Amino acid sequence: MSDSNQELEKLFGDRKYPKKVMFKRLYGYFKDQRVRLFVAFILMILSVVCEAAIPYLAKIVTEKLEVAEGQPFTGILTFVIAFLIMSILGQVFLYFQSMILQKAGQKVVYKMRMEVFSHIENMSQNQLNDMPVGALVTRVANYTQSVSELFTTILINLVKNFLTIIISASVLFFLNYKVAFVTLVFVALVFVYSLIFSNVIHSLFKEERRAFSDLNTFLSENLSGMKITQAFNQQVRKYKEFEGKSDYVRRIIFREIICFGVYRPFITLLYFSSVAVTFLLSKEFGVASATAYAIYLYLTRFFEPVQHIADQLNGVQKAITSSERLFSLLDVPPEVLDSEDAVDIDHFEGHIEFKNVWFAYNKDEWILKDVSFEIKPKETCAFVGATGAGKTTILSLIVRNYEIQKGQILIDGIDIKKIKIKSLRKAIGQMLQDVFLFSGTIKENITLHDESISDEEVVKACEYVNADKFINETEKGLYEEVIENGENYSQGQRQLLSFARTMVHKPQILILDEATANIDTETEVLIQDSLEKMKIVGTMLVVAHRLSTVQKADQIIVLQNGEVKEKGNHQQLLKQRGLYYKLYELQYQDN
Amino acid sequence: MLLFGKHINKYYLKYFWLLFLGVLALLFVDWVQLLLPDYVGDIVEILETGIGDEEIPYIVGKIMIAGFCMFFGRMLWRYTIFYASHGMAHGVRKDMFAKAERLSRDFYHKNKIGTVMAWFTNDLENVEEFFGFGTVMIVDAVFLSMFALIKMFALDVMLALFILPPIVLIIIWGALVERIMSKKWDERQKAFDRLYDFSQENFTGIRVIKAFVKENQEIFAFSKIARKNAKVNVSFGRLHVLFDVLIELIIGLIFASLFGFGGYFVWCAVNGAQPFGFDSTLTVSKLVKFSGYFDSLIWPMIALGQIVSMFARSKTSLKRISIFLDAPEDIKSPENAIKLENVKGEIVFKNFSFSYPDSNSRSSLKDINIVIKPGETVGIVGKVGSGKSTLANSLLYFYNLASDSVFIDGNDLTKCDIDSIRENISYVPQDNFLFSDTIENNILFSKENGTEEDARKAAVFSDVDSNISEFKDGYKTVSGERGVTLSGGQKQRISIARAFVKNAPIMILDDSVSAVDTKTEETILHNIMNERKGKTTLIVASRVSTVHKLDKIIVMKKGEVEAFDTPKNLLKISPTYQKMVRLQELEKECTEGGSN
Repeated sequence: MSDSNQELEKLFGDRKYPKKVMFKRLYGYFKDQRVRLFVAFILMILSVVCEAAIPYLAKIVTEKLEVAEGQPFTGILTFVIAFLIMSILGQVFLYFQSMILQKAGQKVVYKMRMEVFSHIENMSQNQLNDMPVGALVTRVANYTQSVSELFTTILINLVKNFLTIIISASVLFFLNYKVAFVTLVFVALVFVYSLIFSNVIHSLFKEERRAFSDLNTFLSENLSGMKITQAFNQQVRKYKEFEGKSDYVRRIIFREIICFGVYRPFITLLYFSSVAVTFLLSKEFGVASATAYAIYLYLTRFFEPVQHIADQLNGVQKAITSSERLFSLLDVPPEVLDSEDAVDIDHFEGHIEFKNVWFAYNKDEWILKDVSFEIKPKETCAFVGATGAGKTTILSLIVRNYEIQKGQILIDGIDIKKIKIKSLRKAIGQMLQDVFLFSGTIKENITLHDESISDEEVVKACEYVNADKFINETEKGLYEEVIENGENYSQGQRQLLSFARTMVHKPQILILDEATANIDTETEVLIQDSLEKMKIVGTMLVVAHRLSTVQKADQIIVLQNGEVKEKGNHQQLLKQRGLYYKLYELQYQDN
Repeated sequence: MLLFGKHINKYYLKYFWLLFLGVLALLFVDWVQLLLPDYVGDIVEILETGIGDEEIPYIVGKIMIAGFCMFFGRMLWRYTIFYASHGMAHGVRKDMFAKAERLSRDFYHKNKIGTVMAWFTNDLENVEEFFGFGTVMIVDAVFLSMFALIKMFALDVMLALFILPPIVLIIIWGALVERIMSKKWDERQKAFDRLYDFSQENFTGIRVIKAFVKENQEIFAFSKIARKNAKVNVSFGRLHVLFDVLIELIIGLIFASLFGFGGYFVWCAVNGAQPFGFDSTLTVSKLVKFSGYFDSLIWPMIALGQIVSMFARSKTSLKRISIFLDAPEDIKSPENAIKLENVKGEIVFKNFSFSYPDSNSRSSLKDINIVIKPGETVGIVGKVGSGKSTLANSLLYFYNLASDSVFIDGNDLTKCDIDSIRENISYVPQDNFLFSDTIENNILFSKENGTEEDARKAAVFSDVDSNISEFKDGYKTVSGERGVTLSGGQKQRISIARAFVKNAPIMILDDSVSAVDTKTEETILHNIMNERKGKTTLIVASRVSTVHKLDKIIVMKKGEVEAFDTPKNLLKISPTYQKMVRLQELEKECTEGGSN
């Protein structure tokens, strides 16, 4: 919601589009709805005409009444009835116009939301890491809305207001061009005045939104982190910060109040002046009373649309900004895509090979340098090395979270670029460092709403990973609530749940990235035993800081600064007395 | 009909004179506003009859004066009333934040952050709107319509009686539709919130979705929500349009009947007929005035309908805010609390039992008896869910404890000032929450005027200095969504540095080195031994390797202490510890045997 530059930078490619290109593209979304838009447009014109006829009919009635002596009342009644019919017709047209636009607009919003959401789902992990969640949500929820409003509300009303003014002005000129001319001066005055004011208030609103968004971000963060604030006794300081932000919001709102406090009353003053001047001139130019009354009525009708036009012009600007943001997001192509000749694979043997793989998150900052290794089916391979050596990177390359720059990664002899991402990720179960739990129930977090997974399977998976014990102790078992981020469970329990989630999806290859860091040794051993018992998992890839977790591996790969330094099993590596030996010594010295 | 409640009444008092002045200005404006139809009618009459031509400039002058009166009157009520209402909002918002700071963990587990946020935003906005705009609407609705009706009856009783029924119709219609509308509005807002929350959670947990190839499923789920949004919006739109159109129709109908009946009365007056058996004295200019009064009536009538539901809405909002502001503060220092000072760091648990008030999924503690001497470094180990963290965290007094069960330096915690307890504990939580601020400010959280050097020293302590220095902006790097994404290990170490800066007599590390590699863990433990010599430190850990060199270890099992002793003695007396060590040793021996 904030328009900070950082956010712009983060959504790389946030850029200006030429107006022509943009409107053409926007029109693309409304193409399906063009019949609706056209009909709505016609209805709008009809309703404007009806509306404009009303004061004129009022004038005729007044005129007739002035000379009513001796005339039959039916002559007047006809025009009263015409007045009524016009009022009704105008509203009927307006109703249908609005409903048609509502429907068209909602169809467009739906279409855009689906496109944006699907687009985000298909972007790679690497791309998403760089985009703040809040910015993405705003694009899906809010910007789509304001783009659709451009056509369904803003543009049509803009045209409508212009039409109203033009038609009313024409009638005025027809009634008395001299008076009309002077009243138009007032109209122009109001227009210019509104336009200037609208710009001022627009920038104030923008500032208000920013201030509110800042306040709310602060609030939400501090409510989440209240435990820390309380543990460190920083309540007073945080209160002062909050007060400052709230006070800033208040000051901006006061500026708005002052602005509006001048603006609206001044329009009233202009209105009174225009009425005064009109009547003064009516006398000068010898305008008849009924005509003067009609001019007065038309004048009243001018003031609303003129003020709105200024707002709507700003609305157009806002919608353009929104669509620019949407388009620049949609124009970021997903980095990782299925290649055209990608194949579906149901079953993997689990033979994994890295051939001279080079990889960098950012250009020329190589994280992996010429990495080659081979893991045979059913083997357990562990990756060891200091923080930043590239262990986690290797694991995320296997599931194609990122695309490598040089070399080849093969599974069962097939380049993973030639395997459908879907079948690749389905076969590979990932247990990651940071556990993410959705709000919902324990069961929902394990099945991830996959209804084909039965309760029994869930229970079984929980038993395998030893999560059943704490789940059974809760009141509702599998249906116990999980709150935001799983905060009602300990870190270890969260890891067990995440483990159960992975197992219930029956992976053929398993990736464990520090998956058991917060789990005690005994539970970990139990999990390892059941992994062996389950036998569905073939190849296993493990990253762990604790060597006790890795030493049973068939193969241990020691990494340093993105390069493979040593390969072999525990004993072989110890004999080499190299890096691994040093790490080992460090962990077990004087134990 | 005003919004009252103990939490906002003080603001009515605080801004009494402003509000009073504003209402006076409003009344004045309402009165002046109704002069315009009179002037217009007078002029039309003069133009019609041609009598009193010279009066026109005089009347025009009066219109101008009325215009200026309106200008200043409106300005005045806007400034006074809205100043007061936003002043109130600012005040209540601060009260609410202060309250949020006093509430306990229990409250935050029972209430989602999103819900609390809604009280601060939507509900407060509703209350503010009624306080300000609601006041304006009420005054306008009551007085403007009263003035207009009086003028109408004074002008022509017959005509006034004729158009009274449709006016009542507008009010009823307004009230009715507003009631239905606000329901629909809620429905619409709910649908939008669902869309918003769904996207938010989806994007936050996108790693999981990608890992389990649930993208299509999520897109499908999203499409249902988006479709529901479209549906609700259309039906809301329909009601909205219908409401507007019908109001306009009724207004059109009234104007038409004004011209119809009014015209008939005028016609009768001119032609000497008696409408419905009465004498009519209506003239065209009176009709013009009459329609002018009616014009001024439209807005207050619509407002009247809206006020009812607006009042209901803001009353509900105020109730929610009041419930929040009145929420029991269950964690409070007792009266005459002992302020812990010069703490040596002795910790005693005496027959200490504990269970969480909000959740039975988390571990409870049974009958803990432990004495930790000042300056000891003590590890706490045990299986997942055995109560390790619960035991260590109980010292921070996030939850109420039984009296005479936990002591620091011999002081029963339930008798101590809670701030002073926390002042004496450096805490590293399990979940490494960092504020989206610079790393330096995060580390110096408890030391507002600390220098970068202080931060660096702490970062060296937790072995994260070299990582931070590698960032482009070093210690000024902003963490979180708007800055760099820190790894779990980096966050843990910054969180340790933050606790170290506090340098309290007692330090608690709650499973805080789980995401760092062995070498770093070793360094941190080493630093703890050196830098915290003479100070008490509790280290909760999942592994023996983290704690096996500490002075003493507490072994937890199912919420009870299985043993508390030196690592050496534990090997003899604690089956759980033996097992943990054996599991680790076993792996080590069998492999070392082979390597020799």
